[in-house]
Amino acid sequence: MEDVLTDIPPPSRFFLEDLNNFTPPPPPLPYPFLLFSNPNPTKPLRPSLLIIALSSPSLNFFHHVSKTLIGTLILPEVPFSGNSVQPSLRDRSCNIYALNGADQLTILVSVQYAVAAERAHAVAKMLINEQMLPERVLILDSVQSRNFRGTLPPDDTFALKLETSVERKGVGDDGRGDSQLLKGVDYFPSGSVVDGLAAALLSRCQMNKIKGTLCVSWPESGGSVTSLVKSLLLKDVLPGLEHGINSFGEGEHFRFGGNKDHLLDSDLYT
Amino acid sequence: MPYVLDKPALSIGNVGQLAVDLLISSTRADRIGYFDDPNILPCVGNDAYWPAPRGHLALPLEAYDSLSNALTIVQQRSPVSKGMMVEFAMSLADFAAASGKKHIVVLSSLDFVRWQTIDMSSGLQIYYLSSINIDGTDDECEKLGWKRLPEYNLAQRRWKYLSDLAEGNALQEDCMEFEDEAGEEDYYPSLPFAAMFSCFKAKGLKVTCLLCYCSEGDNIPDSFHLAEAASKFLGLSPDNRQGNEGGKWVIPFSWQSLYGPPPDMSLF
Repeated sequence: MEDVLTDIPPPSRFFLEDLNNFTPPPPPLPYPFLLFSNPNPTKPLRPSLLIIALSSPSLNFFHHVSKTLIGTLILPEVPFSGNSVQPSLRDRSCNIYALNGADQLTILVSVQYAVAAERAHAVAKMLINEQMLPERVLILDSVQSRNFRGTLPPDDTFALKLETSVERKGVGDDGRGDSQLLKGVDYFPSGSVVDGLAAALLSRCQMNKIKGTLCVSWPESGGSVTSLVKSLLLKDVLPGLEHGINSFGEGEHFRFGGNKDHLLDSDLYT
Repeated sequence: MPYVLDKPALSIGNVGQLAVDLLISSTRADRIGYFDDPNILPCVGNDAYWPAPRGHLALPLEAYDSLSNALTIVQQRSPVSKGMMVEFAMSLADFAAASGKKHIVVLSSLDFVRWQTIDMSSGLQIYYLSSINIDGTDDECEKLGWKRLPEYNLAQRRWKYLSDLAEGNALQEDCMEFEDEAGEEDYYPSLPFAAMFSCFKAKGLKVTCLLCYCSEGDNIPDSFHLAEAASKFLGLSPDNRQGNEGGKWVIPFSWQSLYGPPPDMSLF
């Protein structure tokens, strides 16, 4: 049961310091930056599709997809302690991959740490329109229960979407279109919002007139939602892409989508 | 060319934002653009105002035009990064000045707990603060039966500091000396509307803040009250509104779930 005294208030209510003109600004942080394994990459990269995986089901799905590590995004305030040499779902990392076997150039960004809301604008700007100029963007996140004004039954599994205007224009007069991603997915209901990095990324797409789709799924983890996300991706986004348990054998533990805030993410255990 | 800019300030109960929602939906204002400000926390959602066309994306800081009313309305849907309110207000003031706006109206609520002289005989009193006169008064507002915010005092240290900061005569670090000495009189200049008032005024723009006291809860009635006040002040005719509600207000579509879903009846 929620504790109304100590739990974070719903987003329409403010703490006093949030409304205080005289709250001192936080110390400035260094700008995030991208590192590529190719020392002389063609800058900026121009993928036909940029996929940004934020949710546990999507991270779990892409972990088992054949891909090539081409770079990483460094957020200076995120420590690397505990990260393994080979990419792992347990790592606090934001690796960038080229998806093997996908048509044209499809790039995947796997965001395996929480990006503070105050940093989301800078990270989104780095990924879209500075170092990369994608033709189309797909962002995969989870429904945020604190921001959702509808009911969220724990035994219900679903996905919803938000799109930029340019992506929506793929709809024809009959309500269908050839160029829309995730055509069969319903729109996110009015009155609820998505915040954080996913919102910053989609906003950047909208402002730069890039085709962008944000797909949020519910619940945050579990076998049913992982299957749903996998089905959507293989059917609508990456048909024909090979998917299976990778050779490092991590699949069993994370088959049902590990929680990014796992206890082992503590700095105490490195 | 619209010359009035209507903007909510973040405040208790989100009343300013709700009032702006009413103004946008009822005047059928057209969205004309977005603000890309790094100091606004990101958020996205589906169209806040109308059920169709579906999937119209909403961003955290948007500008709308109501040409028939010569009015530009700015809606802010998410908070400002902690500690960046004054910088945000300065950016907005720069935009307003650069885009030729002559008059800015800021809508905000105040915490009922802070109301020093409660006068219920006057009903839900609207307070205001204007840049027209040095003491914050405006004859036009007085004629409408509104009261100048009595707690406004430009000689008070925090009001003065805000004014100096907006005019570039102070540094944000100078406010550190205030930290341990905050008193009751420091509450009003600490609020977002005060930062906007000071920054718009420093740009030589006419600025009027419309304020009402409220408590947190169902703030829809407060938003109607403030929107009605703004409408009267701006001379917006109810005939120009598109709604069937009293006063011809159009309830924004997103308000259907404003305070969350109905309770789970299976509990009973």
